[in-house]
Amino acid sequence: MLPKPDTFPIDMAPLKSDLSMPYTLTPGRAAGAFLAELGQRRIVGSRFKKSGNVVVPAQDFCPLSGDSEFEFVEAPATGTLTTFTETAEGLIGLIRIDGSDVDFPHRLVDTSLDDLRIGMRVEAVWADGIDNSILAIAGFRSSPNAPVGMIRPLTDPAQAVEVIPYRLDLHYEHAFGPYYGRLFDEIKTQRRIMGVRTPDGEGALLPPREICDVTHRPTGTWVEVKQTGTVRAMSIINLEFVGQKQAPPYIYAEIMLDGALTRLIHTVSGFDMSRAKELVKPGTRVRAVWRETQTGSLDDISHFELIDADAK
Amino acid sequence: MGRHVGIVGVGQTHHSRRRTDVSQAGLVREAVDRALADAKLTIEDIDSVVVASGPVLFAAVNQPEKWVVDAIGAALKPLVRVTSGGGTGLAGALAGYYQVAGGFADRVLVVAYDKLSEGALQYSISTLYDPFWGREFAVGIMGFSAAYWRARMDVLGHTEEAAAMVAVKNRHNAMNNPYAHVKKEVTVEDVMNSKPLAWPIKLLDVPPISDGAAAVVLSTEKLAAQSTDRPAWIHGMGYFCEADNAAARSLLVSEPLAIAARRVYRTAGITNPRRQFDVVEVQEPYTCFELSYYESLGLCAPGEAAELIRSGATSLSGDIPVNPSGGCAGANPIGAAGLIRLIEAAAQVMGKAAGNQIPNAKLALAQSGGGWANLRGVAVLGA
Repeated sequence: MLPKPDTFPIDMAPLKSDLSMPYTLTPGRAAGAFLAELGQRRIVGSRFKKSGNVVVPAQDFCPLSGDSEFEFVEAPATGTLTTFTETAEGLIGLIRIDGSDVDFPHRLVDTSLDDLRIGMRVEAVWADGIDNSILAIAGFRSSPNAPVGMIRPLTDPAQAVEVIPYRLDLHYEHAFGPYYGRLFDEIKTQRRIMGVRTPDGEGALLPPREICDVTHRPTGTWVEVKQTGTVRAMSIINLEFVGQKQAPPYIYAEIMLDGALTRLIHTVSGFDMSRAKELVKPGTRVRAVWRETQTGSLDDISHFELIDADAK
Repeated sequence: MGRHVGIVGVGQTHHSRRRTDVSQAGLVREAVDRALADAKLTIEDIDSVVVASGPVLFAAVNQPEKWVVDAIGAALKPLVRVTSGGGTGLAGALAGYYQVAGGFADRVLVVAYDKLSEGALQYSISTLYDPFWGREFAVGIMGFSAAYWRARMDVLGHTEEAAAMVAVKNRHNAMNNPYAHVKKEVTVEDVMNSKPLAWPIKLLDVPPISDGAAAVVLSTEKLAAQSTDRPAWIHGMGYFCEADNAAARSLLVSEPLAIAARRVYRTAGITNPRRQFDVVEVQEPYTCFELSYYESLGLCAPGEAAELIRSGATSLSGDIPVNPSGGCAGANPIGAAGLIRLIEAAAQVMGKAAGNQIPNAKLALAQSGGGWANLRGVAVLGA
């Protein structure tokens, strides 16, 4: 029998973390040509030389044979429905364009679930005002009498699309758990920084944790660490980058608070930055400066200031 | 110890700041085609495939191995993806090595890549920080790396000038590397005067941001002769970690690298690395790391790295050349970088380095690592 767990779920609002990351994606030769030709309202595939397989939409590598040598072909806007499903966003189907050896997914429009049949004839519906995107095709609709289209050589291909702007907006909710929960609750309500004692009781681990990283034994009781400490490592940030939380220049510092055995990452400021190299070094003594706001995060500490007043 | 494993074919793409001509899949294919051609094999001869690539936030395609399968021709073969930040390439090779050494496969193809032009690099690297504990201050790993270099300056004497000499050496060596895309000689003064990004790290201490892929074919001893009469034999390979924020972590000498080196040296019979190795390839995301690795790898004692680079011992004509390929200074597609170091070390002992061949190189050391300096590994290769 496994032992009963001695932990239990706690009801606590999570930490919200939002990432918004810009991208410039590279479609490559085949997908780039496919996207470019959608602007001309043509559907482009690739015909692989060795196997003769036709892949619509065009791909650089044959998913059936792995071939890489191909020629572009113009595919018809008609095909058959291989399978389908209904989602919150509407009807989705796998389409096999006439002459293609593979399927691809797209929307099914101007129809209802009850009217869909596997093997039914469909044709592309073009979207107004969209050019170099798969959504230039609004979807596929039922077309019972559509004649079977032919694969033809592609004439006068358009310049391939090389870059596609894209963005990932990611919204996370991180659970605090009992240790971070108490740490940030104390920071918010008491302005105290709490660690836990190591199993041998010498000094505190910060952030607090259930198990000691070194001995892998359960940690000890909670203990408040001092709000003063020593800079262990520092650098002066001038680099600007997407997603940065504060404007350079600023100091990245790893600080050992008095009583703690592990680092806290924060910034040291409150002096003339042109003197940063001489004023902030490994060994420099610093003290936490709190903000007025109380959010329950490390951001409740505005920065660390130099303790030695003469240094300012 | 399992079966002997040899590297019998290597290939890498032409690296670039941005490869607009290929997708991620096309990049992978280019390296795979070159490695298979070098091994005189086709994908039909491969028993198992390892795909290694960096964090998915780099290029916004989750589980990219499902996409690049078609490009490799790996359909219906065993396939796993391995990822470990900057150490991804070596971790991927290690996974392949285990498969051959353990008897699961006779030939394994390992391909590693990253297409860094696609995303916001420092932003995505910053997410390796704990969201509760310091992420708001993260500058990729550059701020962290610079901070501990600053700490090593006081204790170990890793000066800005010494790191600048690493930049001078590696950028000089990259001039002869046909795959490198940064080819510009610099002087110590150029490096010292270059723009501070995360002081002490300055612009010329930093490698380029690159699109690139690399691939190797690993083989049993029995089948190796079908590919080459001069494989690079793997005498040992290991990848170790240390705790993320433990009380004992000093970050002055890289503890996981020292442990990995000690362990692998023992299996490979290395007792004096400085004397025994003919050539070394290290993955130096910033110049300061190369100095630190000299010490962790035992090429010199802690505190002697600045003197080692100053003496010229690690230059092409020195007694222990480090990064004759130019290292990351020539090209740095992060997920591939560790495998590129392994390839460059292998090419040296196979006697076919594309750039600066060290004459009569018989024993080579390759190093790689990921995380925020807490994942580190090495491989020892012999002719």
